[in-house]
Amino acid sequence: MKIFRGRLKNQLTLFNAFSKLLIFGVLLMLIPYFINKISIKNTDNNLYKKLDQLYDIIDSTGIESFIDEDAEIRSYGSYNILKAEYISIEQIKTDSLYESIESTRRIIENEIVDYRVISAVFGYDDSEFYLIEIGKSINDIVDFKRTLQRFILIFLLIVIVITVVVDISFIQSLLRPFDHIITKLKRSTSPHNFDYTPVKSMSSDFIYLENSINNLMRKIEIRFNDEREFISNVSHELLTPISIIQNKIDNSLNSDDIPVNIVNKLVESKKTLNRLTLMIRTLLLMSRIENNEFIKNDTINIKQIVDDVIEEIYIMVQAKELNLISDISSNLPAISGNRDLIFNLIFNLVTNAIKHTPEAGTVDIKILTTNSVIIFKIKNSGKGINKDLIPDIFSRFKRLDNSSEGYGIGLALAKKIADYHNIDISVNSDSNTYTEFILEFTI
Amino acid sequence: MRVLIVEDEKDLAQEISEFLTNEHYNCDIAYTGTDASESLAVNMYDFVLLDIGLPDYNGLDLLKEAKEYNSEAYFIIITARGAIEDKVKGLDLGADDYLAKPFALLELGSRIKAIARRKFGNKTHLLQFGNFAVDINKRVLFFDDNPIDLTKKEYELISYFVLNKNRVLNRLQLTEHIWGDFYENDFDSNYIDVHIKNIRKKLATYDDTKWIKTVRGIGYKFEL
Repeated sequence: MKIFRGRLKNQLTLFNAFSKLLIFGVLLMLIPYFINKISIKNTDNNLYKKLDQLYDIIDSTGIESFIDEDAEIRSYGSYNILKAEYISIEQIKTDSLYESIESTRRIIENEIVDYRVISAVFGYDDSEFYLIEIGKSINDIVDFKRTLQRFILIFLLIVIVITVVVDISFIQSLLRPFDHIITKLKRSTSPHNFDYTPVKSMSSDFIYLENSINNLMRKIEIRFNDEREFISNVSHELLTPISIIQNKIDNSLNSDDIPVNIVNKLVESKKTLNRLTLMIRTLLLMSRIENNEFIKNDTINIKQIVDDVIEEIYIMVQAKELNLISDISSNLPAISGNRDLIFNLIFNLVTNAIKHTPEAGTVDIKILTTNSVIIFKIKNSGKGINKDLIPDIFSRFKRLDNSSEGYGIGLALAKKIADYHNIDISVNSDSNTYTEFILEFTI
Repeated sequence: MRVLIVEDEKDLAQEISEFLTNEHYNCDIAYTGTDASESLAVNMYDFVLLDIGLPDYNGLDLLKEAKEYNSEAYFIIITARGAIEDKVKGLDLGADDYLAKPFALLELGSRIKAIARRKFGNKTHLLQFGNFAVDINKRVLFFDDNPIDLTKKEYELISYFVLNKNRVLNRLQLTEHIWGDFYENDFDSNYIDVHIKNIRKKLATYDDTKWIKTVRGIGYKFEL
């Protein structure tokens, strides 16, 4: 059914034209056929009457009024002037009586004439048999049929053209509100930029459809806004109490006479608070990205960003005795975006890679460029990600392999930043040997 | 030095005040923007800590106003929103530094010290210890006027130790300081040990570093 897929109005117009053509085509075939039938039937009745009249004449005047008694050729024939009718009588040697009627073609004086002919054999004086034929030209009927057909054809063509044109414009105007609704839906990429202005329509169906879509869109928009506002407010409200606890711990740690075990407990508590803070900050950042709060017109040199990130985390590489290989092509074209967010994205992927590399493992950073994209690849050795889990890796709060080292919210943030900049982010992994994250920046 | 703390969360304001009082600052607290506005009109402060998320007052307006009355004061703005625009606007309006909630009190104390050293009087931006000197304007460590090649993180650690000399700094405090916004859950504190090892090695080529003390089980201090 794929070939029939298309706009509703086109489908309706096509269907209308097709069904009319079909109906008119059938009429075009049937009307002449019936007219022909009826005319032949009339002619036949006429011929039967004539035959009866002829029998009456022969009964009352004898066969001799047509054929002389002594004539050698025992037959009779007569045409009227325009060959519209003829009668023939001839003696034959048969003893079976019959009567038949048929259409036949005769050549009379070099002229083809279509006749309807009734033939009958009758007995006379007990020993003689005669064949009578009465013919009536049906050229008139054939001509009439042809003329009628031509007329009907022209008439029907005109009717089809008129009705199709009328149908198209009617369907068009009827479906205009529907078109509007479709255009509105196509134009809006999210509920925030949906056009809520009502469409004028005579059909209650479309008004209902539109109202339903508008209501749904409004609901979705409200939900979206609520969720974002909720995250933003909750984050904000949570940071203040965390602040208070953190500063109380700071003040407790500030005196010199606290035993080491208490110091360590307080430090551990602070670490836990920091975890909470980091999570809230990340959620807040994500909700602000969703709110389009970041301006994306910084000119960014990716090599510079990667260098800054490496400087930031170099001590981790050293502490874990990792082999950090970076192969960055010089003369990378600049890209535009939000510098802080792109830094965050790269930082996230790099620290994630380092975190999941075993001691003395390898982290390999590559940046290549083609005509249209800059490709950033970071690959780390070590236990990779199970194939089944890869589709979930960018989801918020999905933890892999139940360990405490979750990919968690960091990769969800990375994905959000990438999407915000139309950067393609993907992951390859072999569960035993490596994990590789790839970013593709469109230039 | 006199400090005004403008913070609507009473608990938080008191903790900050307790910490700074311990550091020998004179602290006033304003819990509302209106109170802060009055205090600023009447008193002269050296430092103003301003939470710009006050319920009764637009924090940035208050900052503008305060700059008029207390043009000599230094301002550190505090925000819980973490919005970069607030930071940028605040610094544009003349704030000297910016902290996002939650922040460590030691970090706040160090920022105040650094501002004070940068801005007050002559040569205070040079923190001299032995033959070494930290220049907190240029962000460079000198040995006998020769700059020492350090990474950014190494410089940050050394200046933090010097600003908080003779105080034990635990590994978490140091981690928070050098990674700040990018602090990660599992930034293992042995990264600090590696840093200190590197610093000791670098400085040892210039002079004896026995003033870098390891405090068992907790962290390090510079005994100067």
